[in-house]
Amino acid sequence: MTHILTRERRERETHLMVDSLFPSIETTVDDASPESRQKRRRISETAKEAESSGINQESLKRWRTNRVQQIYASKLVEVLRRVRKGSNDGGKITSAAREIRDTADRVLAASACGTTRWSRAVLATRKHKKAKITGTRKPRKDTATERKRIKLPAVERKLKILGRLVPGCRKVTVPNLLDEATDYIAALEMQVRAMESLAELLEAAAPRST
Amino acid sequence: MDLSGRFGARSGNGVPFREVTGLESLHLGGGDEFRQMVLPENGGGFTALLELPPTRAVELLHSSSSSSSQATLHSVGTLTFPSNPILMERAARFSVIATEQNPNGNISGETTTSSVPSNEHIKTEPAETETSDQAAVEKQNNRCGKRKDFDKKVNSSTKKKSKSSEENEKLPYVHVRARRGQATDSHSLAERARREKINARMKLLQELVPGCDKIQGTALVLDEIINHVQSLQRQVEMLSMRLASVNPRIDFNLDTILASENGSLMDGSFNGTTMQLAWPHQVMETEQSYHHRQLQQPPPQQWPFDGLNQPVWGREENQDHGNDHNSLMVGSASLHPNQVKMEL
Repeated sequence: MTHILTRERRERETHLMVDSLFPSIETTVDDASPESRQKRRRISETAKEAESSGINQESLKRWRTNRVQQIYASKLVEVLRRVRKGSNDGGKITSAAREIRDTADRVLAASACGTTRWSRAVLATRKHKKAKITGTRKPRKDTATERKRIKLPAVERKLKILGRLVPGCRKVTVPNLLDEATDYIAALEMQVRAMESLAELLEAAAPRST
Repeated sequence: MDLSGRFGARSGNGVPFREVTGLESLHLGGGDEFRQMVLPENGGGFTALLELPPTRAVELLHSSSSSSSQATLHSVGTLTFPSNPILMERAARFSVIATEQNPNGNISGETTTSSVPSNEHIKTEPAETETSDQAAVEKQNNRCGKRKDFDKKVNSSTKKKSKSSEENEKLPYVHVRARRGQATDSHSLAERARREKINARMKLLQELVPGCDKIQGTALVLDEIINHVQSLQRQVEMLSMRLASVNPRIDFNLDTILASENGSLMDGSFNGTTMQLAWPHQVMETEQSYHHRQLQQPPPQQWPFDGLNQPVWGREENQDHGNDHNSLMVGSASLHPNQVKMEL
């Protein structure tokens, strides 16, 4: 049990580190009633109809620049250096890996500066996601009508799956979900590029003889 | 019917079917005739209505003052819609013709005087839509050949114009124009606007995800997008595992590790743009600067260490290649593990 406690403490440390890295980020959790938010968003969104595509384009551009990648990589290194390993044996790699992935995601969300919904959700969540996965599922009898109901809105089902993949976008309207997915994909690509080059760098630098 | 005969006569005058002039003549000359036709059947309400759409259309075509249009607007609202099918059809055709006229003559007019004319357009739409709805059935029965040809004109320009007028609106509501040959009730309008929004974003996503251009159909594209997101997330996990396996070796001998590193590896992936952030970027040092730093021994720093390090870095900025602004801070690195250990 103790190692769980230390892991939590470590995670809290990394949380603090990441937050102090980006002091100006608003981490408002989207707990407000989704309907009113959606209405407000729809109105404001239709008002910015002309800029919506512009926003998307420029948000994509900002995740593609090398400078952003640089910034992200250096920040990641900074935080990684502070990550303390409990005992650096081979068996603990997976837990360390999970931690690194979480910190990497948080740093990524932080570089979005809270402008997107998924970034705010990533920064705001402190609980373990695994606890949420085992939700209660009602056992249903698979009658023909139910099967029809399940199969028909294929696009809607896929949109729901996409909503589950993008953090913090379960109860989000379809156009917003697509917007968030666009930004999220661009950000993920940047993250992969940065981590890849970082990993190559460090692996090449580290003496493999140990 | 008499009306159709009259129309045939007018359009057969050898004048190329210029809609503006045709409308004007019809409006000016035909108003009286309409009134005579209709009075026995209905009150004066319908004639006012019938005159209004072409009046409005003509006014808008010439992008004239808004005051008169506003006056007419009110009268439109108070009218009761008549049931005379043929006259309804006429009104519908006028409105249709009016909309079709707009692309050529009125694009500049629309975009410059953005809000007011488009408001007028929108407010005439209920009138037009209602008449067209009622006349929908009759339309199919009473079409004559000439009008058919005219109706089938290509209207991509109308669509474009509707899009541009949509996008120029800064009001909280999206003003949608009914396109040629499509249903004009408010539900389908709203649905169409929604569909266009969604399709625009789907296109962006398609461009983003590799290999989605060839795919037709929303469901398959969504499949690809989901796969892509999942693969990216898995890649991040793999990379984090790699970094985790590398990391233990870092804590011990970070200095030597980074010192033996040359800048080329970094340069391959990053561009050497200077970062203007308050947050300190880390400097990867070549061997010379590393030794240089060892001699300096920067004062013990607390974290974050912006102000302290800036002057120190200034000395390292002039290196051989201009690209070397990105490098890892070694001096601080030596301190941090110590600091971390001390905290715990």
